[in-house]
Amino acid sequence: MIDQKLAEALKDRARTGDQTALRSPELKSLFDQLKTLPAEERAAFGQSVNELRQELQSLLAGARDKQEQLPPIDTTAPFDANTPFDARPRLLDSGQGSVHPLMTELAQILDIFYRMGFTAVESREIDDDFNMFGSLNFPEGHPARDDYDTFMTVQKDKQNRPFIAPAHTSTMQNRVLKRLKPNLEKGEPIAAVIPGRVFRNEDLDARHEHTFYQLEGVYVDKGVNVGHLIAALKTFLQEYYGKELEVRTNPFYFPFTEPSFEFMLSCPFCDKKGCQICSQAGWIELLGCGMIHPKVLHAAGIDTNEYTGFAWGGGIDRLVMMKYGVEDVRYFHSARLDFLRQFA
Amino acid sequence: MKVSLSTIRAMSKRYGCAEDVAAVGVGELIDKVNAQLGGIDEIIAIGNKYEGIVISKVIGCEKHPNADKLHVCNIDDGGAVKSVERDNDGYVQVVCGAPNVREGLIVAWLPPGSTVPDTVGKDPFVLEARELRGVVSNGMLASPKELALGDSHAGLLEIDGDHKPGTDFAEAFGLKDDMVFDIENKMFTHRPDCFGFLGVARELAGIQGIPFKSPDWYRPQPELSNTETDELELYVRNELPELVPRFTAIAMRGVKVGPSPVWLQVELAKVGQKSINNIVDYTNFFMLETGQPLHAYDYDKVKTLSGGDAAAIVVRNPKPGEKIKLLSGKEIEPRPGAVMIATDRQLIGIGGVMGGADTEVDEDTTNIILECANFDMYSVRRTSMEHGLFTDAVTRFTKGQSPLQCLAVLAKIVDEIREHAGGKVASPVIDDKHLDESLGGQTLHVPVKLSADFINSRLGLGLPAKEIKSLLKNVEFEVDIKGDELTVTAPFWRTDIELREDVVEEVGRLYGYDHLPVELPKRDLVPAVKDPLLTLKTRIRQTLAKTGSSEVLTYSFVHGGLLDKAGQDKNQAFQIANALSPELQYYRLSLMPSLLDKVHGNIKAGYDEFALFELGKVHGLDQGADEAGLPREFEFTGLVVAAADKLKKQGAAYYQARKYLTELVKAPLEFKPVGEGAQKFAVVQPYDPGRAAMVHIKGGAYLGIIGEFRTSARQALKLPKYCAGFEIDTTALQKVLGGVHYVPLTRFPKVIQDITLKVPADLAYQELFDAVQNELNEHKPQNTLAELGAVDIYQPESAKEHKNVTLRLDIASYERTLTDDEVNKLLDQVAAAAKAKLNAERV
Repeated sequence: MIDQKLAEALKDRARTGDQTALRSPELKSLFDQLKTLPAEERAAFGQSVNELRQELQSLLAGARDKQEQLPPIDTTAPFDANTPFDARPRLLDSGQGSVHPLMTELAQILDIFYRMGFTAVESREIDDDFNMFGSLNFPEGHPARDDYDTFMTVQKDKQNRPFIAPAHTSTMQNRVLKRLKPNLEKGEPIAAVIPGRVFRNEDLDARHEHTFYQLEGVYVDKGVNVGHLIAALKTFLQEYYGKELEVRTNPFYFPFTEPSFEFMLSCPFCDKKGCQICSQAGWIELLGCGMIHPKVLHAAGIDTNEYTGFAWGGGIDRLVMMKYGVEDVRYFHSARLDFLRQFA
Repeated sequence: MKVSLSTIRAMSKRYGCAEDVAAVGVGELIDKVNAQLGGIDEIIAIGNKYEGIVISKVIGCEKHPNADKLHVCNIDDGGAVKSVERDNDGYVQVVCGAPNVREGLIVAWLPPGSTVPDTVGKDPFVLEARELRGVVSNGMLASPKELALGDSHAGLLEIDGDHKPGTDFAEAFGLKDDMVFDIENKMFTHRPDCFGFLGVARELAGIQGIPFKSPDWYRPQPELSNTETDELELYVRNELPELVPRFTAIAMRGVKVGPSPVWLQVELAKVGQKSINNIVDYTNFFMLETGQPLHAYDYDKVKTLSGGDAAAIVVRNPKPGEKIKLLSGKEIEPRPGAVMIATDRQLIGIGGVMGGADTEVDEDTTNIILECANFDMYSVRRTSMEHGLFTDAVTRFTKGQSPLQCLAVLAKIVDEIREHAGGKVASPVIDDKHLDESLGGQTLHVPVKLSADFINSRLGLGLPAKEIKSLLKNVEFEVDIKGDELTVTAPFWRTDIELREDVVEEVGRLYGYDHLPVELPKRDLVPAVKDPLLTLKTRIRQTLAKTGSSEVLTYSFVHGGLLDKAGQDKNQAFQIANALSPELQYYRLSLMPSLLDKVHGNIKAGYDEFALFELGKVHGLDQGADEAGLPREFEFTGLVVAAADKLKKQGAAYYQARKYLTELVKAPLEFKPVGEGAQKFAVVQPYDPGRAAMVHIKGGAYLGIIGEFRTSARQALKLPKYCAGFEIDTTALQKVLGGVHYVPLTRFPKVIQDITLKVPADLAYQELFDAVQNELNEHKPQNTLAELGAVDIYQPESAKEHKNVTLRLDIASYERTLTDDEVNKLLDQVAAAAKAKLNAERV
């Protein structure tokens, strides 16, 4: 173990702002001692030496804060004493203020869904295995559950599973279905969209972000069928792009919908002629969707003999990139004013 | 998943499965596949690669006069190629360096003008007639490598079978006009059968309403050959029945290993596989056909490594430190949970992933073991991911193949090898199985009972039961109709039909989702509820943008170093266990460190003065759990103002941040000192307590903190001198934001009077202001409208003890015109009270 006296003496020096404490022979002697220890003791000792060093650093920072403190000010006043009138606080030109383009887009999308009769609930940023996987019919051992794609915490929940940074807004489905279940009892549908920030554990490049925005939607009622799903999404997209569009579905696979589809729309930028945005295909693949899997409805206590529903999810970032021709997805989280002020 | 259309057509015809599934034409078929099977990633016109290649016969073959290793050949191309120089017999001269060139050989000739297939799409090499060491060569004769069929460059491709000189190579081998569809794998996640040509062919038939019948040999209990020759002893011990529910194997004696027939090499090449030898190629081909991976071992090598008189195969986990050299040449130490194939002495393969090098089938092999097994999909995936081994077997096993097909595929490969590579069955079939056979081994799941109405209501259709039955029968489901109820039994290869909804999916897809009636659900007039928090956030954004600030989004996760720099404690933060990037170690404790992190970059980019804000969620270990046991999430709004040092801004930046805060909140605020006790809160830690304040709604809720930042943070984050910010609880704004407090107008003129009070220097402005306000409220005439504001705070250099505060009163009555005199008297009263209570002198 570290000599307590020695450690305390070092801390005292750091408290007084003695910068040499960090480079002192005493501290160095502890690192030297580390090398002489038997292998099994080394890890624990090394850790405590590092902890001591960090503590010294933070004590020194505290001491510096005190030593180099600016004089206190009267924080209850509206401006500083003796500030000339023309140097008093003044807001910046409103013309240069800007709302983030992703948030502007999200507000527009929400507006359309509100008008279509959907309510909205924002997604969480830290969640558990049940909401992220279990309630969504991801079997134990499913590839998405392992940690190759999903951020997980060191800390564990009550089931001794790590918390999860959601990789999709579907993580809210169970909660939203349960919360809005009383609608069904009143004879009204469950109709909700769920925007939120989601995370994928991948390396960054111009087209890949580990942090991005999705919008999920759920609709449950008696007699809901696949045709309703296609019509609802088509209606939304036509409103969003302000024009008539063609849509088509490709069969797909998601654990939480059955059947599942990829949803394509005729390219709104070239009207199917082929352009850079749709890679000359004339079609854009925009969403994943499907009929909510009965196990997902069951998990929310909804009777699948009576009720069926559809769900979909899609990215917001891509909509904005296509709309403005943004070439690099990393700009969204760069906080660069040269990027942001273009959306003023 | 790549499939060649001509392969599928030929297969369907060979086995009598179905009428031509491509009769509608390629264009329409593509549309149908996209709409009813899965998105097509790519369509490859594979025949283009082989354009102009002619099957020819070597008539004469003589040594090159000027080169030892070259031959000068005369070839017969049946006169197929026009513009080429011919001798009197009509033969064409080609120089060839391959060691196996000889008279009578049937070869692939690449005439002048054709392109070497292996170079297509890379750096195309177009042939011509040119001299080689003084002898003209008209094009070349091709090796398997040049034809993109295999890696072998050792000699010419020797074409077997009955092919007349002059036949077009592409036409002879089903390449001409062939299309290879690459269908998105993701679609087939739950369709292991579609990783075989058979499965795809069946679907192509099904989505066109064409009945499909699997080949006779593809059935759960096939006929198997008995031992036909001297037995080769083979034992299998499966120690992992949970992960390996079925392991079948058989030994064969006397096989002849050699190059595969050309048709087989071509079939593999179409889907991007290289030919290795006939045994390996046949096992690969039947994997491609059925989706069921197979593996061939050299029996004698296994036996030697077993160290006895018999080949012993053990299925087990690896022992600590155990290693294996793989077919790919790579040596690995498999993960502890991996399913390994071993002898009783050493590892010889990773089950379902890749075989080992030590038991490889090579040209000297005569006896083989064929394995056809079933492995747990998740275990295979973990092993594949952990060791970065991605093989065709992995692709197929990770979808969960049906264990009911193992024997059929084993029986088929035995027959094929016996017929095409010689060899006789030399052991009984070993069938180690651990399956639930309560359903008779004919299907994997209990038959699904459902009504036609159940299906129709979910698809918006009105299909009669008979039509549903016919759609399903086309892809070999068994369907019994009793009244309105259907009993649907899935064929043995289908792993995905458990629930009624699974049948709905099947019917919808076979019918065609693109043919469903599309209409919006009907709704009533109940208005949708807008989410209050999202609505509030939109409002905050708009308000702050109006003040000239820019909204930013920064990551929810931060580097531990950023928390250190901001004076926050990492141990309070949720830690990410598996981030690829070191930038993402912790959930952030508050927004401010991330905002401060973005200040320096923008100043460097030339922005001298700006305000950045963010609305985000924060998390901390000390924040407790919500009712569901999840970490509580807090919604914060943070804003930072900054001005570059070169602007030499006067006054404290604090007041600038305060200006923004009051502009946002608009309700009266209270600014209280940051006490020692508050230092434990992460949101407070970046601030300098002497130049920061805790903010409350006046007489109400706590909002957050505002201030300048501690010296260590300013230095570490390279902040300019003029920099301050605030961070407040977004949800606490809910109650105060957006309400408009209208004050009725008065028609009487207002009187404006200033009052300057000399007060002790350490008296807080707010205290003085509140005292004055209270006095005013007490003494002002009834029914008046009075507004108090700050004009100036002045503290001369010389006066350490006191300061002068000038306040301005705007006052008007609703009833009459106030006189200056009256207001002066009011201020006298205020001044007297201020003197009594605060020791303030009126100046």
